[in-house]
Amino acid sequence: MSAVIAGLGITEMGKVYGRTAAEFAADAVRMAAADAGLAVPDIDGLLTNTGISGDVGLGLQRDLGLRDLRLLSEIQAYGSSAGAMVQYAAMAVGSGMADVVACVFADAPLKDPSSGAGAAYAGAGRRPTGWQGLAAASGIYSANTMYALAARRHMRTYGTTSEQLGHIAVAQRAWAVRNPLAQMRDPITLADHQNSRWIAEPFHLLDCCLVSNGGVAVIVTSAERGADLSQPAVHILGWGQAHPGYVMGPGSELGLVSGAAISGPAALKMAGVTIADIDVAELYDCYTFTALLSLEDYGFCAKGEGGPFAASGALGPEGRLAVNTGGGQLSSYYMWGMTPLSEAVIQARGQGGERQAPRHDLVLVSGNGGLLDHHSTLVLSPNPR
Amino acid sequence: MPVGIVQRDAATAEFFDGAARGDLLIRRCDGCGGWAAPQARTCPHCASPALSWTPAAGTGTVVTWAVVHTKGLPTVTVGIVELDEGPWMQLQLTGDLPEDLSDLRVRVAFEQPEGGEAVPVFTPASTQ
Repeated sequence: MSAVIAGLGITEMGKVYGRTAAEFAADAVRMAAADAGLAVPDIDGLLTNTGISGDVGLGLQRDLGLRDLRLLSEIQAYGSSAGAMVQYAAMAVGSGMADVVACVFADAPLKDPSSGAGAAYAGAGRRPTGWQGLAAASGIYSANTMYALAARRHMRTYGTTSEQLGHIAVAQRAWAVRNPLAQMRDPITLADHQNSRWIAEPFHLLDCCLVSNGGVAVIVTSAERGADLSQPAVHILGWGQAHPGYVMGPGSELGLVSGAAISGPAALKMAGVTIADIDVAELYDCYTFTALLSLEDYGFCAKGEGGPFAASGALGPEGRLAVNTGGGQLSSYYMWGMTPLSEAVIQARGQGGERQAPRHDLVLVSGNGGLLDHHSTLVLSPNPR
Repeated sequence: MPVGIVQRDAATAEFFDGAARGDLLIRRCDGCGGWAAPQARTCPHCASPALSWTPAAGTGTVVTWAVVHTKGLPTVTVGIVELDEGPWMQLQLTGDLPEDLSDLRVRVAFEQPEGGEAVPVFTPASTQ
């Protein structure tokens, strides 16, 4: 029994205060069910993924008043979780274990500035203890720095430049200009990227993702049931995961090759297609560099050629490859792996409005978590295989 | 810029005892003799969990680096250093650093912030 994504719920997003992540999660599930034309009690499976707020979990069942669930779990593989949840949901539907599975991520790291609290991502204030404390005491206390270390290794190995990374930021902002859901809709230039303040060299501010409060949910059900629901069904044709377990020593591929090199071919093989068949790619882009590395590892360009590929004008609304058509995490909203997944569902349905890719028969979704430690890939389509 | 304060826990107690003596302790496999990073729990060469604390020579080569900018604080240079024994360590880079740190040879030094453990840092080997 093949599975489809039948519903998508995206809450109010960004600097939205006064709601907990658990509340965003419940709202997102309600919206996804309504989008599918289902009632909340139709849900018999629930997979949750919490962000750093940490309060989205098994209690969501009660928050939604769901009874007699046949599947309920918290999933945690960081940025690869959204793809992973859809994979587990598809398997549950395929096996007959559950009929209607909601997969949800929500987070509320931004605190109301009038409350005097800062964003929870800053990492400040945690008691520095043990190995993590040693890293923090050394000045390594944020993902920005970890990814900057990875990016610099790529730059030194392949000659990738900050300007080439900037082309990714500029192209994605051009998409975001056309996306009413995006938080950042003013166009930017390469000069804006280069002139934006340093965060952790080699990253400028405009190399880094947004921080958003909100929630996103999808409903996974069988193709048979999905055919009778409100929205065009989005078929889940293939999937894969990869968790490299980088050795911190000689021979490590950290910064050079990501899990996309494994999960991508696995997902494409399951779908019975090749990378050349992909019409739209929604790539996890916590940093410009993450998108660049993914482009290489999926085989959209050769290893080490991601920089020249981005600088060639291949990306953006006028480019030859539709990548991160909503603006991605850099410019639309940061909902971990739900950012690329939500835009992929919109594109596969053909509901992208001004940003709709003309060809959208095959949409690839990339999820990335940790310091390139966890990866998931989905291949989605408006058509069954 | 001085390093921050870190407190020991059970997993890091011996490492910080070594740091207080001026030793950079890493792990060595009791089985195959292979080297592992100080936080390793399993030998990366033979997968044995039997690892012992052993002083490293304290010299290595910069693999990659980043310059961290934080509002209101001095910039900090951090890096991944490949020790001559092989394992990578992520620590602060201090001293008179060139702009391009690729393959820079470095040597461990220790800073002693008040109220915390001794913290290893790497500094250019040529200035020692």
